[in-house]
Amino acid sequence: MERYDAVVIGAGNGGLTAAATLAKKGVNVLLLERHNIPGGCATSFCRGRFEFEVALHQLSGLGTPEKPGLLRMELDKLGVMENLEFVELSDLYHVATPKGFRITLKTDRSENIAMLQEKFPHEKDAIDRYFDLMASYANDMIGAFIFRDPEPSREKYPYLYKYALRNSKEILDEYFSDPLLKAILSVYWGYLGVPPTRLAFAYLAMIFFQYMEFKPYHIKGGSQALSNAILNKFISDGGTARFSCGAKKIVVKNGRVKSVVTDNNDEIITEYVVSNASQVTTYTQLIDPEYVPESVSVEIKGRNLSTSAFTMFIGFDCEPEELGITESTNFLMDSTDISDAILDRMQNLNIQDELMVLSCYDIADADFSPPGTCQANVVTLKYGEPWLRIPPRQYHDVKFRCAESMLKRVEQIYPDAKKHIEEIEVGTPLTHMRYLGHPFGAIYGYEMLTKDSLFFQPGPYSPIQGLFLAGGWAGDNGFEPTLRSGISAAKSIIRRLGVK
Amino acid sequence: MRKGIWQEFDGYQDIVEEIKVSRKLGGTIAPAMINAEEYIRQLHPDRLELCVNGIIEETPSTKTLRFVSKDNYLPPFLAGQYIALYLEVGGIRTSRPYSISSPPNQTGYYDITVKRVEQGLVSNYLLDHVNRGDDLVSSGPQGNFYFNPIIHKSTKICIAGGSGITPFMSMIREIVDCGLDRTVHLFYGNKTDEDVIFHEELTNIAKRFDNITYLPVIEDPTDDYSGACGFVTSNLIRELLGDIEDKSFFICGPQGLYEFCLPELEEMGIARRKVRQEMYGAPLNIWEYPGWPEAVNKDDIFSVKLRDGRQLEARAAEPLMVTLEKNNVVVPSLCRSGECSMCRVKILSGKVFQPAAVPVRKSDKQFGYVHSCVSYPIEDLEILI
Repeated sequence: MERYDAVVIGAGNGGLTAAATLAKKGVNVLLLERHNIPGGCATSFCRGRFEFEVALHQLSGLGTPEKPGLLRMELDKLGVMENLEFVELSDLYHVATPKGFRITLKTDRSENIAMLQEKFPHEKDAIDRYFDLMASYANDMIGAFIFRDPEPSREKYPYLYKYALRNSKEILDEYFSDPLLKAILSVYWGYLGVPPTRLAFAYLAMIFFQYMEFKPYHIKGGSQALSNAILNKFISDGGTARFSCGAKKIVVKNGRVKSVVTDNNDEIITEYVVSNASQVTTYTQLIDPEYVPESVSVEIKGRNLSTSAFTMFIGFDCEPEELGITESTNFLMDSTDISDAILDRMQNLNIQDELMVLSCYDIADADFSPPGTCQANVVTLKYGEPWLRIPPRQYHDVKFRCAESMLKRVEQIYPDAKKHIEEIEVGTPLTHMRYLGHPFGAIYGYEMLTKDSLFFQPGPYSPIQGLFLAGGWAGDNGFEPTLRSGISAAKSIIRRLGVK
Repeated sequence: MRKGIWQEFDGYQDIVEEIKVSRKLGGTIAPAMINAEEYIRQLHPDRLELCVNGIIEETPSTKTLRFVSKDNYLPPFLAGQYIALYLEVGGIRTSRPYSISSPPNQTGYYDITVKRVEQGLVSNYLLDHVNRGDDLVSSGPQGNFYFNPIIHKSTKICIAGGSGITPFMSMIREIVDCGLDRTVHLFYGNKTDEDVIFHEELTNIAKRFDNITYLPVIEDPTDDYSGACGFVTSNLIRELLGDIEDKSFFICGPQGLYEFCLPELEEMGIARRKVRQEMYGAPLNIWEYPGWPEAVNKDDIFSVKLRDGRQLEARAAEPLMVTLEKNNVVVPSLCRSGECSMCRVKILSGKVFQPAAVPVRKSDKQFGYVHSCVSYPIEDLEILI
């Protein structure tokens, strides 16, 4: 029987960084991945002369070499930066409505305030106060949690205590009356998966602050470049990776991890496992039910699954300017409604006035598509469950129908788009179910309702000794959190192994 | 830091209540575990267990194999898609992609139509050794060569060569069976009139349906042949159709067809976005490709070292994947034409030759990954699978 110090299940962001962090410390690691390529969500695929980015829109937490963010520091330590090239995005996002309203938010705070005040003069003071609030909240958060204040208190961090658990819409309603302004300032809910009515202000404030402070980034070669770079480091540090071979079982004995059985029925003896599979899969499929602690089952039962997504990948046979695309990140906004009605739209098997984000990486990275071409990744959020009610033989029709409606929305803003399409591919919630293996194709793990977010997340630990969790199901979602989650899972193992 | 300062945050108690209630009543998670996997299998099964239900002799060199599913379920597909057959021939475990020639509305069986290839390991096996009642394993339906209503025009000009007719048969049969509002102008090139597959059926369909036209084009016709001769040229297309605006082009056939027809379409001023091209296996004459190193002879032998210490012998003109298969090293495969990326392997040292047009991810190139089905060793190699 083979024997490893640790087995990492899944080569998504969290699995990759966990494996690489362990291997770098000389830990003997086996990385298992069902697919033939590393990355999970962080991947790309080719159609014709285009390579389409699957998941990454704006990488957070990087910062500059002079003023590094947490993610840059971690990737630096991991030793993968030399193989990667990052491009700073100059804008936060552009918002476009079919009625012709356009605004571009920059990464500079005062520029944003000025821009918003010019477009919304009747909200002038509120805009000032709102940006102050976001900054004050972020400062409190950093003081208490990033710098780990040993004696935090309400007096020291009033904004944190008051606002962390409140929903974003309430705050926006308190500050503003203009529905368009509120909708513009809350578009990032799409990156987190729950509408402003359900989204903790902590998230909305921090995502805004983070992107302004440390800037959003694009990776040359897309997120696959990052996945490949981390895997490459892992292999050169002596790690063993097995692709097209998932894990079938985590064998538990006396409350401890004993071994992992692979899809090929090889049993690998190990004391430590990092599972980058979903927490749900880990406890309901990989571990026999009699070994799953009651507390875990109760916790899982109470959680909600995040939304999935409907995505169109389009390759155009012209430059972005010819289509009128001038920014990397474009929110196409048909409705300014930020109420719970959004949740109803996300359940529907059609596309009407949903918020969409159109990312065009070619704006920041001229090499992203071949010369004379460009591509767009257009996403709207859709729950996966309704898609399971489509009779399989009607699936293609529903998929094409939704894609057609989505394209119509794109054409409202960029009228020539359809004429220039050379390649198009559509991903539905079922595509995510298929490739990620997540229940209902949930792209953000557990839904980031306040009750399932921040302080209430499962985290990397398990009551089963030797088992750790990494990825978007253990904590926050998105690239930065999942990449960092693997590192923290690995560090826990390193401490237990007593490796220097 | 004290543990759990958030317990003092405004609203904390409400959330604790909410968690309590949701644990009691259950969140949305419980039903998610039911049947989702089974559902996905109905759309995208990894493997299909098939049984040969009938064999139809189409031409002296071509047969149609009719497959039914052993569990009575065949997943839906889009006309033009293919399945990869997984089989063992002469002790070699390998695969081959075949377009489905039956229409998607035929849910009882899949047809594939196989033409004999000289020295073709799998085609000869399928034609000579597979009988009614035999079992075979395939992938689920795959591929991107289909009519996409979002971008394609309802009038399609289809250019087929030899066995490249198979995806078009599926498309045309669907259109006439289901009465779809689409028009197809089919140009079908073959070496001799004897090679033409489905000639009778196509002739009859074209006679009965105004929205289907069919023009066989024979390169090397017999004396009593009276139809169009030569190749599918831009003149021929223009002559027959006149106006070529607002039409989508689909092309499928052997390498020679693309080499001849694509420049013809370009000469007609047809934008690349209007032309959809099916892949058709690995190049047969790779040493004649632009960029092939002069110093390497097609029969040169190189060594391929695997991570487990095994050392294989590889011929320059043979795709790396074939060498691996001959040595019982299994690499996942589907399209065997360089597109699907299933067979990517990492080259640790040494060089392979890959045709320039093979779509390999940028970062895969950076880290030495190649698609082994269209990679040819031109130096001694060390590879990681």
